Amino acid sequence: MMRAILVKRNDPRSDDDRNELQMNELRELAGAAGYNIIAEMTQMRHPDRKYHLGRGKVEELSQIVTDLKPDKIIFHNPLSTMQIYNISETCRCETIDKFQLILEIFATRATTHRSKLQVELARLEYELPRARAVVSILKKDERPGFMGLGGYEDSYAQDIKNRMARIKNELETIQKDNESLRAHRHSRGFSLAALAGYTNAGKSTLFNALVDENVESKDMLFTTLLPTTRSLKVKGRDILVTDTVGFIEDLPHWMVDAFKSTLDEIFLADVVLLVVDSSEQMELIRKKLLVCHETMWDQLQEVAIVTVFNKIDLITDDELQEKMATLAYLAPHSVTVSAKTGFGFEKLKEQIQSLLPEWKRIKLSIPQSEEGMALVAWIYDEGLVHSINYTNTISIDFEARDKVINKAISLANGLS
Amino acid sequence: MFDIIAVDISGRHKTNDGYLMVCAAVAASVTADHIEKVNQIVVRSFRDSSAPDVQDVVKIVEETVSELKFSGTIVTEAGDFYNKPQWLIDSMFSCDLKYQESLSERRCIEIAHHVSLSSRKLLLKELDIR
Repeated sequence: MMRAILVKRNDPRSDDDRNELQMNELRELAGAAGYNIIAEMTQMRHPDRKYHLGRGKVEELSQIVTDLKPDKIIFHNPLSTMQIYNISETCRCETIDKFQLILEIFATRATTHRSKLQVELARLEYELPRARAVVSILKKDERPGFMGLGGYEDSYAQDIKNRMARIKNELETIQKDNESLRAHRHSRGFSLAALAGYTNAGKSTLFNALVDENVESKDMLFTTLLPTTRSLKVKGRDILVTDTVGFIEDLPHWMVDAFKSTLDEIFLADVVLLVVDSSEQMELIRKKLLVCHETMWDQLQEVAIVTVFNKIDLITDDELQEKMATLAYLAPHSVTVSAKTGFGFEKLKEQIQSLLPEWKRIKLSIPQSEEGMALVAWIYDEGLVHSINYTNTISIDFEARDKVINKAISLANGLS
Repeated sequence: MFDIIAVDISGRHKTNDGYLMVCAAVAASVTADHIEKVNQIVVRSFRDSSAPDVQDVVKIVEETVSELKFSGTIVTEAGDFYNKPQWLIDSMFSCDLKYQESLSERRCIEIAHHVSLSSRKLLLKELDIR
Protein backbone atom coordinates (compact mmCIF):
# COMPACT_ATOMS: atom_id res chain seq x y z
CA MET A 1 0.00 0.00 0.00
CA MET A 2 1.31 3.45 -0.90
CA ARG A 3 1.94 5.93 1.90
CA ALA A 4 0.86 9.55 1.79
CA ILE A 5 0.99 12.76 3.79
CA LEU A 6 -2.15 14.91 3.69
CA VAL A 7 -1.78 18.69 3.67
CA LYS A 8 -4.47 21.36 3.85
CA ARG A 9 -4.30 25.13 3.95
CA ASN A 10 -7.23 26.77 5.73
CA ASP A 11 -8.30 30.31 5.04
CA PRO A 12 -8.02 32.62 8.03
CA ARG A 13 -11.33 33.02 9.90
CA SER A 14 -12.83 30.04 8.06
CA ASP A 15 -15.29 27.68 9.73
CA ASP A 16 -13.49 25.01 11.80
CA ASP A 17 -16.20 22.40 11.36
CA ARG A 18 -16.17 22.85 7.61
CA ASN A 19 -12.38 22.53 7.54
CA GLU A 20 -12.57 19.33 9.54
CA LEU A 21 -15.22 17.92 7.19
CA GLN A 22 -13.11 18.74 4.16
CA MET A 23 -10.07 17.11 5.75
CA ASN A 24 -12.17 14.07 6.55
CA GLU A 25 -13.32 13.87 2.95
CA LEU A 26 -9.70 14.08 1.78
CA ARG A 27 -8.83 11.22 4.16
CA GLU A 28 -11.63 9.11 2.68
CA LEU A 29 -10.60 9.99 -0.87
CA ALA A 30 -7.00 9.03 -0.12
CA GLY A 31 -8.26 5.78 1.40
CA ALA A 32 -10.37 5.10 -1.70
CA ALA A 33 -7.31 5.66 -3.90
CA GLY A 34 -5.39 3.09 -1.85
CA TYR A 35 -3.14 5.34 0.22
CA ASN A 36 -2.12 4.73 3.79
CA ILE A 37 -2.09 8.10 5.57
CA ILE A 38 1.04 8.40 7.67
CA ALA A 39 0.88 12.09 8.61
CA GLU A 40 -1.30 15.15 8.29
CA MET A 41 -0.48 18.84 8.26
CA THR A 42 -2.64 21.96 8.23
CA GLN A 43 -1.83 25.63 8.22
CA MET A 44 -4.06 28.66 8.53
CA ARG A 45 -2.92 31.45 6.22
CA HIS A 46 -3.59 33.09 2.88
CA PRO A 47 -2.09 31.19 -0.07
CA ASP A 48 1.56 31.75 -0.88
CA ARG A 49 2.33 32.25 -4.57
CA LYS A 50 5.40 30.06 -4.55
CA TYR A 51 4.60 27.24 -2.13
CA HIS A 52 0.90 27.65 -1.35
CA LEU A 53 1.83 27.12 2.33
CA GLY A 54 4.33 29.32 4.16
CA ARG A 55 8.00 28.70 3.38
CA GLY A 56 8.71 27.56 6.94
CA LYS A 57 5.81 25.12 6.85
CA VAL A 58 7.10 23.60 3.60
CA GLU A 59 10.54 23.15 5.21
CA GLU A 60 8.81 21.43 8.13
CA LEU A 61 6.99 19.24 5.60
CA SER A 62 10.30 18.46 3.94
CA GLN A 63 11.69 17.30 7.30
CA ILE A 64 8.69 15.02 7.84
CA VAL A 65 9.16 13.61 4.32
CA THR A 66 12.82 12.84 5.08
CA ASP A 67 11.83 11.05 8.30
CA LEU A 68 8.77 9.13 7.12
CA LYS A 69 9.58 8.63 3.41
CA PRO A 70 6.03 8.78 1.97
CA ASP A 71 5.24 8.02 -1.70
CA LYS A 72 3.16 11.14 -2.19
CA ILE A 73 2.14 14.45 -0.65
CA ILE A 74 -1.57 15.13 -1.21
CA PHE A 75 -2.88 18.69 -0.97
CA HIS A 76 -6.54 19.48 -0.44
CA ASN A 77 -6.21 22.85 -2.13
CA PRO A 78 -5.76 23.21 -5.88
CA LEU A 79 -2.11 23.87 -6.72
CA SER A 80 -0.57 25.65 -9.68
CA THR A 81 2.14 23.95 -11.73
CA MET A 82 4.78 26.21 -10.23
CA GLN A 83 3.65 25.40 -6.69
CA ILE A 84 3.69 21.65 -7.40
CA TYR A 85 7.20 21.98 -8.85
CA ASN A 86 8.51 24.05 -5.94
CA ILE A 87 7.04 21.79 -3.26
CA SER A 88 8.27 18.63 -5.03
CA GLU A 89 11.77 20.13 -5.36
CA THR A 90 11.93 21.21 -1.70
CA CYS A 91 10.48 18.00 -0.27
CA ARG A 92 11.90 15.61 -2.88
CA CYS A 93 8.56 13.83 -3.06
CA GLU A 94 5.78 13.65 -5.66
CA THR A 95 3.05 16.19 -4.90
CA ILE A 96 -0.56 16.11 -6.12
CA ASP A 97 -3.76 18.00 -5.30
CA LYS A 98 -7.31 16.80 -4.66
CA PHE A 99 -8.34 16.91 -8.32
CA GLN A 100 -5.43 14.73 -9.35
CA LEU A 101 -6.33 12.38 -6.50
CA ILE A 102 -9.90 12.09 -7.83
CA LEU A 103 -8.50 11.45 -11.30
CA GLU A 104 -6.28 8.71 -9.85
CA ILE A 105 -9.29 7.04 -8.26
CA PHE A 106 -11.19 7.20 -11.54
CA ALA A 107 -8.19 5.86 -13.44
CA THR A 108 -7.76 2.84 -11.18
CA ARG A 109 -11.47 1.97 -11.31
CA ALA A 110 -12.00 2.54 -15.02
CA THR A 111 -12.48 -0.86 -16.59
CA THR A 112 -14.40 -0.39 -19.83
CA HIS A 113 -13.12 1.28 -22.99
CA ARG A 114 -15.57 4.14 -22.55
CA SER A 115 -14.63 4.96 -18.98
CA LYS A 116 -10.93 4.72 -19.82
CA LEU A 117 -11.47 7.29 -22.57
CA GLN A 118 -13.36 9.54 -20.16
CA VAL A 119 -10.59 9.37 -17.59
CA GLU A 120 -7.96 10.04 -20.24
CA LEU A 121 -9.93 13.05 -21.48
CA ALA A 122 -10.33 14.45 -17.96
CA ARG A 123 -6.60 14.00 -17.36
CA LEU A 124 -5.69 15.76 -20.59
CA GLU A 125 -8.05 18.65 -19.85
CA TYR A 126 -6.34 19.02 -16.49
CA GLU A 127 -2.93 18.86 -18.12
CA LEU A 128 -3.50 21.22 -21.05
CA PRO A 129 -3.24 24.58 -19.30
CA ARG A 130 -0.19 23.30 -17.43
CA ALA A 131 1.54 21.79 -20.45
CA ARG A 132 3.57 24.84 -21.42
CA ALA A 133 4.70 25.50 -17.87
CA VAL A 134 5.67 21.84 -17.31
CA VAL A 135 7.86 21.75 -20.42
CA SER A 136 9.33 25.11 -19.53
CA ILE A 137 10.30 23.86 -16.05
CA LEU A 138 11.64 20.53 -17.30
CA LYS A 139 13.85 22.16 -19.95
CA LYS A 140 14.93 24.99 -17.67
CA ASP A 141 18.56 23.88 -17.58
CA GLU A 142 18.95 23.21 -21.25
CA ARG A 143 18.06 26.55 -22.80
CA PRO A 144 19.31 25.76 -26.28
CA GLY A 145 19.44 28.90 -28.29
CA PHE A 146 17.75 30.25 -31.28
CA MET A 147 14.38 28.51 -31.95
CA GLY A 148 15.17 26.03 -29.19
CA LEU A 149 12.48 26.03 -26.54
CA GLY A 150 9.33 27.38 -28.14
CA GLY A 151 9.12 24.37 -30.40
CA TYR A 152 9.05 21.96 -27.48
CA GLU A 153 6.34 23.83 -25.60
CA ASP A 154 4.06 24.24 -28.56
CA SER A 155 4.37 20.74 -29.89
CA TYR A 156 3.59 19.23 -26.47
CA ALA A 157 0.47 21.40 -26.03
CA GLN A 158 -0.56 20.67 -29.61
CA ASP A 159 -0.06 16.97 -29.04
CA ILE A 160 -2.41 17.11 -26.05
CA LYS A 161 -5.00 19.02 -28.07
CA ASN A 162 -4.85 16.44 -30.86
CA ARG A 163 -5.27 13.58 -28.43
CA MET A 164 -8.23 15.35 -26.83
CA ALA A 165 -9.92 15.87 -30.18
CA ARG A 166 -9.47 12.20 -31.05
CA ILE A 167 -10.93 11.03 -27.74
CA LYS A 168 -13.84 13.47 -27.98
CA ASN A 169 -14.71 12.10 -31.42
CA GLU A 170 -14.66 8.57 -30.16
CA LEU A 171 -16.72 9.45 -27.08
CA GLU A 172 -19.28 11.21 -29.24
CA THR A 173 -19.83 8.05 -31.24
CA ILE A 174 -20.31 6.05 -28.04
CA GLN A 175 -22.65 8.72 -26.67
CA LYS A 176 -24.79 8.62 -29.80
CA ASP A 177 -25.14 4.86 -29.35
CA ASN A 178 -26.21 5.40 -25.75
CA GLU A 179 -28.68 8.13 -26.69
CA SER A 180 -30.32 5.89 -29.24
CA LEU A 181 -30.41 3.09 -26.66
CA ARG A 182 -32.14 5.45 -24.23
CA ALA A 183 -34.60 6.59 -26.90
CA HIS A 184 -35.25 2.94 -27.79
CA ARG A 185 -35.94 2.13 -24.14
CA HIS A 186 -38.34 5.08 -23.91
CA SER A 187 -40.14 4.01 -27.06
CA ARG A 188 -40.42 0.46 -25.72
CA GLY A 189 -42.48 1.94 -22.89
CA PHE A 190 -39.90 1.81 -20.16
CA SER A 191 -39.78 4.79 -17.85
CA LEU A 192 -36.33 5.73 -16.64
CA ALA A 193 -35.32 6.36 -13.03
CA ALA A 194 -31.80 7.31 -11.94
CA LEU A 195 -30.17 7.13 -8.54
CA ALA A 196 -28.25 10.30 -7.75
CA GLY A 197 -26.65 11.71 -4.63
CA TYR A 198 -23.44 12.58 -2.87
CA THR A 199 -20.69 10.01 -3.08
CA ASN A 200 -21.00 7.25 -0.43
CA ALA A 201 -24.70 8.00 0.26
CA GLY A 202 -25.59 4.34 -0.31
CA LYS A 203 -26.86 4.52 -3.89
CA SER A 204 -25.41 1.17 -4.94
CA THR A 205 -26.68 -0.60 -1.81
CA LEU A 206 -30.16 0.78 -2.46
CA PHE A 207 -29.88 -0.20 -6.13
CA ASN A 208 -28.87 -3.75 -5.23
CA ALA A 209 -31.70 -4.07 -2.73
CA LEU A 210 -34.29 -2.61 -5.11
CA VAL A 211 -33.49 -4.66 -8.19
CA ASP A 212 -31.88 -7.66 -6.51
CA GLU A 213 -28.52 -7.15 -8.16
CA ASN A 214 -24.91 -7.55 -7.08
CA VAL A 215 -23.28 -4.27 -8.07
CA GLU A 216 -20.17 -3.62 -6.00
CA SER A 217 -21.09 -1.51 -2.96
CA LYS A 218 -18.59 -0.51 -0.30
CA ASP A 219 -18.27 2.07 2.45
CA MET A 220 -15.89 4.04 0.23
CA LEU A 221 -16.02 7.13 -1.99
CA PHE A 222 -16.52 6.60 -5.74
CA THR A 223 -17.17 2.86 -5.61
CA THR A 224 -19.43 3.28 -8.64
CA LEU A 225 -18.04 4.93 -11.74
CA LEU A 226 -20.03 3.30 -14.50
CA PRO A 227 -23.80 3.48 -14.72
CA THR A 228 -25.55 0.12 -14.36
CA THR A 229 -29.16 -0.25 -15.49
CA ARG A 230 -31.64 -2.91 -14.39
CA SER A 231 -35.40 -3.21 -14.69
CA LEU A 232 -37.75 -2.91 -11.74
CA LYS A 233 -41.49 -3.60 -11.60
CA VAL A 234 -43.38 -0.78 -9.93
CA LYS A 235 -47.09 -1.59 -9.50
CA GLY A 236 -47.20 -3.50 -12.77
CA ARG A 237 -45.12 -1.04 -14.78
CA ASP A 238 -41.60 -1.76 -15.88
CA ILE A 239 -39.11 0.98 -15.12
CA LEU A 240 -35.38 0.99 -15.68
CA VAL A 241 -33.33 2.04 -12.69
CA THR A 242 -29.79 3.33 -13.24
CA ASP A 243 -27.08 3.49 -10.60
CA THR A 244 -24.70 6.39 -11.25
CA VAL A 245 -21.50 8.04 -10.09
CA GLY A 246 -21.82 10.19 -6.96
CA PHE A 247 -21.43 13.96 -6.69
CA ILE A 248 -18.64 15.60 -4.72
CA GLU A 249 -18.02 19.13 -3.48
CA ASP A 250 -15.79 21.33 -5.64
CA LEU A 251 -15.80 18.83 -8.51
CA PRO A 252 -14.17 20.94 -11.19
CA HIS A 253 -16.41 21.87 -14.09
CA TRP A 254 -14.20 20.39 -16.79
CA MET A 255 -14.39 17.10 -14.98
CA VAL A 256 -18.19 17.13 -14.81
CA ASP A 257 -18.15 17.80 -18.53
CA ALA A 258 -15.76 14.97 -19.16
CA PHE A 259 -18.09 12.63 -17.28
CA LYS A 260 -21.15 14.11 -18.90
CA SER A 261 -22.21 10.87 -20.52
CA THR A 262 -22.42 9.28 -17.08
CA LEU A 263 -24.34 12.20 -15.63
CA ASP A 264 -26.65 12.25 -18.67
CA GLU A 265 -28.25 9.15 -17.23
CA ILE A 266 -29.45 11.34 -14.38
CA PHE A 267 -30.44 14.34 -16.44
CA LEU A 268 -32.48 12.42 -18.99
CA ALA A 269 -34.40 10.27 -16.52
CA ASP A 270 -38.13 10.57 -15.83
CA VAL A 271 -37.59 10.37 -12.08
CA VAL A 272 -34.42 11.10 -10.11
CA LEU A 273 -33.99 9.32 -6.78
CA LEU A 274 -31.83 11.66 -4.74
CA VAL A 275 -30.26 9.46 -2.08
CA VAL A 276 -29.28 10.99 1.27
CA ASP A 277 -27.37 9.34 4.11
CA SER A 278 -29.67 10.27 6.98
CA SER A 279 -27.31 8.90 9.64
CA GLU A 280 -24.95 11.84 9.15
CA GLN A 281 -25.07 15.13 11.03
CA MET A 282 -27.73 17.60 9.97
CA GLU A 283 -25.29 20.25 8.77
CA LEU A 284 -23.37 17.70 6.73
CA ILE A 285 -26.55 16.41 5.07
CA ARG A 286 -27.54 19.99 4.26
CA LYS A 287 -24.18 20.72 2.67
CA LYS A 288 -24.27 17.53 0.62
CA LEU A 289 -27.82 18.23 -0.53
CA LEU A 290 -26.66 21.69 -1.52
CA VAL A 291 -23.89 20.22 -3.68
CA CYS A 292 -26.45 17.91 -5.32
CA HIS A 293 -28.84 20.81 -6.05
CA GLU A 294 -25.96 22.86 -7.43
CA THR A 295 -24.75 20.04 -9.69
CA MET A 296 -28.25 19.26 -10.92
CA TRP A 297 -29.18 22.92 -11.45
CA ASP A 298 -26.91 23.32 -14.46
CA GLN A 299 -28.45 20.56 -16.52
CA LEU A 300 -31.59 19.20 -14.94
CA GLN A 301 -34.75 20.02 -16.86
CA GLU A 302 -38.27 19.37 -15.67
CA VAL A 303 -37.55 16.10 -13.91
CA ALA A 304 -39.39 14.83 -10.86
CA ILE A 305 -37.14 14.29 -7.85
CA VAL A 306 -37.74 11.87 -4.97
CA THR A 307 -35.50 12.40 -1.95
CA VAL A 308 -34.66 9.05 -0.39
CA PHE A 309 -33.52 9.30 3.23
CA ASN A 310 -31.42 6.13 3.40
CA LYS A 311 -29.78 4.32 6.35
CA ILE A 312 -32.67 5.10 8.74
CA ASP A 313 -31.86 1.94 10.68
CA LEU A 314 -28.90 3.82 12.16
CA ILE A 315 -30.90 6.66 13.78
CA THR A 316 -33.94 7.07 16.02
CA ASP A 317 -37.38 8.13 14.80
CA ASP A 318 -37.16 11.51 16.56
CA GLU A 319 -33.81 12.30 14.96
CA LEU A 320 -35.17 11.35 11.55
CA GLN A 321 -38.30 13.51 11.92
CA GLU A 322 -36.23 16.47 13.04
CA LYS A 323 -33.85 16.12 10.10
CA MET A 324 -36.67 15.74 7.59
CA ALA A 325 -38.53 18.78 8.94
CA THR A 326 -35.42 20.97 8.89
CA LEU A 327 -34.32 19.86 5.45
CA ALA A 328 -37.79 19.93 3.84
CA TYR A 329 -36.88 22.97 1.74
CA LEU A 330 -34.09 20.98 0.07
CA ALA A 331 -35.79 17.59 -0.08
CA PRO A 332 -38.67 17.22 -2.54
CA HIS A 333 -41.06 14.24 -2.16
CA SER A 334 -39.10 12.71 0.70
CA VAL A 335 -39.33 9.00 1.50
CA THR A 336 -37.53 7.11 4.27
CA VAL A 337 -35.93 3.74 3.56
CA SER A 338 -33.30 1.40 4.85
CA ALA A 339 -31.54 -0.31 1.96
CA LYS A 340 -30.07 -2.77 4.46
CA THR A 341 -33.33 -3.98 6.02
CA GLY A 342 -35.67 -3.24 3.10
CA PHE A 343 -37.88 -0.94 5.16
CA GLY A 344 -39.87 1.65 3.18
CA PHE A 345 -39.44 0.11 -0.29
CA GLU A 346 -43.21 -0.10 -0.88
CA LYS A 347 -43.66 3.58 -0.10
CA LEU A 348 -40.71 4.42 -2.35
CA LYS A 349 -42.27 2.46 -5.21
CA GLU A 350 -45.62 4.23 -4.65
CA GLN A 351 -43.88 7.59 -4.77
CA ILE A 352 -42.01 6.64 -7.96
CA GLN A 353 -45.23 5.45 -9.56
CA SER A 354 -47.06 8.68 -8.73
CA LEU A 355 -44.36 10.68 -10.52
CA LEU A 356 -43.98 8.53 -13.64
CA PRO A 357 -45.38 9.81 -16.97
CA GLU A 358 -49.12 9.12 -16.96
CA TRP A 359 -50.68 6.07 -18.61
CA LYS A 360 -54.25 6.05 -19.96
CA ARG A 361 -56.87 3.37 -19.26
CA ILE A 362 -59.13 2.04 -21.98
CA LYS A 363 -61.61 -0.81 -22.69
CA LEU A 364 -61.33 -2.52 -26.06
CA SER A 365 -63.22 -5.27 -27.91
CA ILE A 366 -61.10 -7.57 -30.03
CA PRO A 367 -62.50 -10.37 -32.23
CA GLN A 368 -61.72 -14.00 -31.25
CA SER A 369 -59.16 -15.01 -33.83
CA GLU A 370 -55.50 -15.86 -34.14
CA GLU A 371 -54.62 -12.22 -34.93
CA GLY A 372 -56.83 -11.09 -32.03
CA MET A 373 -54.93 -13.33 -29.60
CA ALA A 374 -51.64 -12.01 -30.95
CA LEU A 375 -52.85 -8.47 -30.24
CA VAL A 376 -53.83 -9.46 -26.67
CA ALA A 377 -50.38 -10.94 -26.13
CA TRP A 378 -48.81 -7.75 -27.40
CA ILE A 379 -50.98 -5.63 -25.04
CA TYR A 380 -49.86 -7.84 -22.12
CA ASP A 381 -46.25 -7.09 -23.10
CA GLU A 382 -46.64 -3.35 -23.47
CA GLY A 383 -49.21 -2.36 -20.86
CA LEU A 384 -50.91 -3.29 -17.62
CA VAL A 385 -54.04 -5.43 -18.06
CA HIS A 386 -56.69 -4.90 -15.37
CA SER A 387 -59.32 -7.39 -16.59
CA ILE A 388 -60.03 -9.57 -19.61
CA ASN A 389 -63.25 -11.41 -20.65
CA TYR A 390 -63.45 -14.07 -23.34
CA THR A 391 -66.97 -14.27 -24.83
CA ASN A 392 -67.78 -13.96 -28.56
CA THR A 393 -65.25 -11.23 -28.55
CA ILE A 394 -62.39 -10.47 -26.19
CA SER A 395 -63.10 -7.48 -23.89
CA ILE A 396 -59.92 -6.17 -22.43
CA ASP A 397 -59.50 -3.36 -19.90
CA PHE A 398 -55.90 -2.12 -19.82
CA GLU A 399 -53.62 0.77 -19.05
CA ALA A 400 -50.75 1.89 -21.30
CA ARG A 401 -49.01 4.92 -22.75
CA ASP A 402 -50.63 6.88 -25.59
CA LYS A 403 -48.68 5.31 -28.44
CA VAL A 404 -49.60 1.76 -27.43
CA ILE A 405 -53.29 2.65 -26.98
CA ASN A 406 -53.49 4.29 -30.41
CA LYS A 407 -51.78 1.35 -32.07
CA ALA A 408 -54.04 -1.15 -30.24
CA ILE A 409 -57.18 0.75 -31.33
CA SER A 410 -56.11 0.88 -34.97
CA LEU A 411 -55.13 -2.81 -34.96
CA ALA A 412 -58.43 -3.79 -33.29
CA ASN A 413 -60.37 -1.74 -35.85
CA GLY A 414 -58.47 -3.43 -38.64
CA LEU A 415 -59.38 -6.88 -37.30
CA SER A 416 -63.14 -6.27 -36.85
CA MET B 1 -44.66 25.00 0.66
CA PHE B 2 -42.47 28.00 1.48
CA ASP B 3 -42.93 31.68 0.71
CA ILE B 4 -39.83 33.34 -0.69
CA ILE B 5 -38.94 36.61 -2.36
CA ALA B 6 -36.26 36.15 -5.02
CA VAL B 7 -34.34 39.33 -5.82
CA ASP B 8 -31.96 40.19 -8.62
CA ILE B 9 -30.31 43.47 -9.65
CA SER B 10 -29.24 44.26 -13.21
CA GLY B 11 -26.96 47.09 -14.35
CA ARG B 12 -24.27 47.26 -11.73
CA HIS B 13 -21.80 48.50 -14.31
CA LYS B 14 -21.15 52.00 -15.51
CA THR B 15 -23.05 53.52 -18.43
CA ASN B 16 -22.31 56.96 -19.88
CA ASP B 17 -23.56 59.07 -17.02
CA GLY B 18 -23.41 56.78 -14.00
CA TYR B 19 -25.17 53.64 -12.89
CA LEU B 20 -28.70 52.72 -13.93
CA MET B 21 -29.79 49.72 -11.94
CA VAL B 22 -33.04 47.77 -12.08
CA CYS B 23 -34.06 45.58 -9.18
CA ALA B 24 -36.73 42.89 -9.56
CA ALA B 25 -38.37 41.09 -6.64
CA VAL B 26 -40.42 37.96 -7.25
CA ALA B 27 -42.73 36.80 -4.44
CA ALA B 28 -43.45 33.11 -4.91
CA SER B 29 -44.64 30.00 -3.13
CA VAL B 30 -42.22 27.16 -3.77
CA THR B 31 -41.51 23.56 -2.86
CA ALA B 32 -37.99 22.15 -2.84
CA ASP B 33 -37.79 21.48 -6.56
CA HIS B 34 -40.38 23.64 -8.30
CA ILE B 35 -42.32 26.87 -8.13
CA GLU B 36 -45.95 26.41 -7.11
CA LYS B 37 -47.10 29.96 -7.74
CA VAL B 38 -45.65 33.36 -8.52
CA ASN B 39 -47.68 35.72 -6.32
CA GLN B 40 -46.36 39.12 -7.38
CA ILE B 41 -43.46 40.76 -9.19
CA VAL B 42 -42.17 44.25 -8.46
CA VAL B 43 -39.61 46.15 -10.53
CA ARG B 44 -37.85 49.37 -9.49
CA SER B 45 -35.10 51.42 -11.04
CA PHE B 46 -32.29 53.22 -9.21
CA ARG B 47 -29.70 55.74 -10.39
CA ASP B 48 -26.38 56.43 -8.79
CA SER B 49 -23.25 58.31 -9.76
CA SER B 50 -20.86 55.88 -8.07
CA ALA B 51 -20.59 52.10 -7.95
CA PRO B 52 -22.92 50.57 -5.34
CA ASP B 53 -21.34 49.16 -2.17
CA VAL B 54 -22.89 46.55 0.13
CA GLN B 55 -24.98 49.15 2.02
CA ASP B 56 -26.35 50.53 -1.24
CA VAL B 57 -27.33 47.05 -2.42
CA VAL B 58 -29.07 46.36 0.91
CA LYS B 59 -31.01 49.62 0.53
CA ILE B 60 -32.00 48.84 -3.05
CA VAL B 61 -33.23 45.35 -2.13
CA GLU B 62 -35.12 46.58 0.97
CA GLU B 63 -36.85 49.35 -0.98
CA THR B 64 -37.95 47.02 -3.76
CA VAL B 65 -39.15 44.29 -1.42
CA SER B 66 -41.13 46.82 0.67
CA GLU B 67 -43.45 47.36 -2.30
CA LEU B 68 -44.57 43.73 -2.33
CA LYS B 69 -47.87 42.77 -0.71
CA PHE B 70 -46.51 39.32 0.13
CA SER B 71 -43.97 38.38 2.77
CA GLY B 72 -41.27 35.71 2.77
CA THR B 73 -37.58 35.03 3.12
CA ILE B 74 -35.51 37.12 0.72
CA VAL B 75 -33.35 34.89 -1.48
CA THR B 76 -30.42 36.25 -3.51
CA GLU B 77 -27.23 35.09 -5.16
CA ALA B 78 -24.14 35.44 -2.96
CA GLY B 79 -22.51 37.47 -5.73
CA ASP B 80 -25.12 40.23 -5.35
CA PHE B 81 -23.60 41.00 -1.96
CA TYR B 82 -20.00 40.64 -3.09
CA ASN B 83 -19.85 37.07 -1.69
CA LYS B 84 -19.88 38.36 1.88
CA PRO B 85 -20.87 35.74 4.48
CA GLN B 86 -24.61 35.23 4.79
CA TRP B 87 -24.76 36.00 8.53
CA LEU B 88 -23.19 39.40 7.93
CA ILE B 89 -25.65 40.41 5.22
CA ASP B 90 -28.62 38.92 7.09
CA SER B 91 -27.81 41.16 10.08
CA MET B 92 -28.14 44.26 7.87
CA PHE B 93 -31.73 43.42 6.89
CA SER B 94 -34.92 43.96 8.84
CA CYS B 95 -36.36 40.71 7.43
CA ASP B 96 -34.89 37.23 6.85
CA LEU B 97 -32.38 36.80 4.06
CA LYS B 98 -30.57 33.76 2.69
CA TYR B 99 -28.46 32.88 -0.31
CA GLN B 100 -29.92 30.56 -2.94
CA GLU B 101 -29.86 26.86 -2.14
CA SER B 102 -32.61 24.68 -3.62
CA LEU B 103 -33.55 24.22 -7.28
CA SER B 104 -36.78 26.22 -6.88
CA GLU B 105 -34.95 29.15 -5.28
CA ARG B 106 -32.51 29.18 -8.18
CA ARG B 107 -35.40 29.03 -10.65
CA CYS B 108 -37.08 32.02 -8.93
CA ILE B 109 -33.87 34.04 -9.06
CA GLU B 110 -33.63 33.17 -12.74
CA ILE B 111 -37.11 34.69 -13.24
CA ALA B 112 -36.09 37.81 -11.30
CA HIS B 113 -32.96 38.04 -13.43
CA HIS B 114 -34.90 37.88 -16.70
CA VAL B 115 -37.36 40.49 -15.44
CA SER B 116 -34.72 42.95 -14.26
CA LEU B 117 -32.50 42.49 -17.31
CA SER B 118 -35.25 42.95 -19.87
CA SER B 119 -36.79 45.90 -17.94
CA ARG B 120 -33.42 47.59 -17.87
CA LYS B 121 -32.92 47.05 -21.59
CA LEU B 122 -36.32 48.63 -22.29
CA LEU B 123 -35.48 51.53 -19.99
CA LEU B 124 -32.15 52.14 -21.71
CA LYS B 125 -33.95 52.15 -25.06
CA GLU B 126 -36.62 54.58 -23.82
CA LEU B 127 -34.09 56.94 -22.24
CA ASP B 128 -31.80 56.54 -25.22
CA ILE B 129 -28.79 55.61 -23.10
CA ARG B 130 -26.03 53.64 -24.74
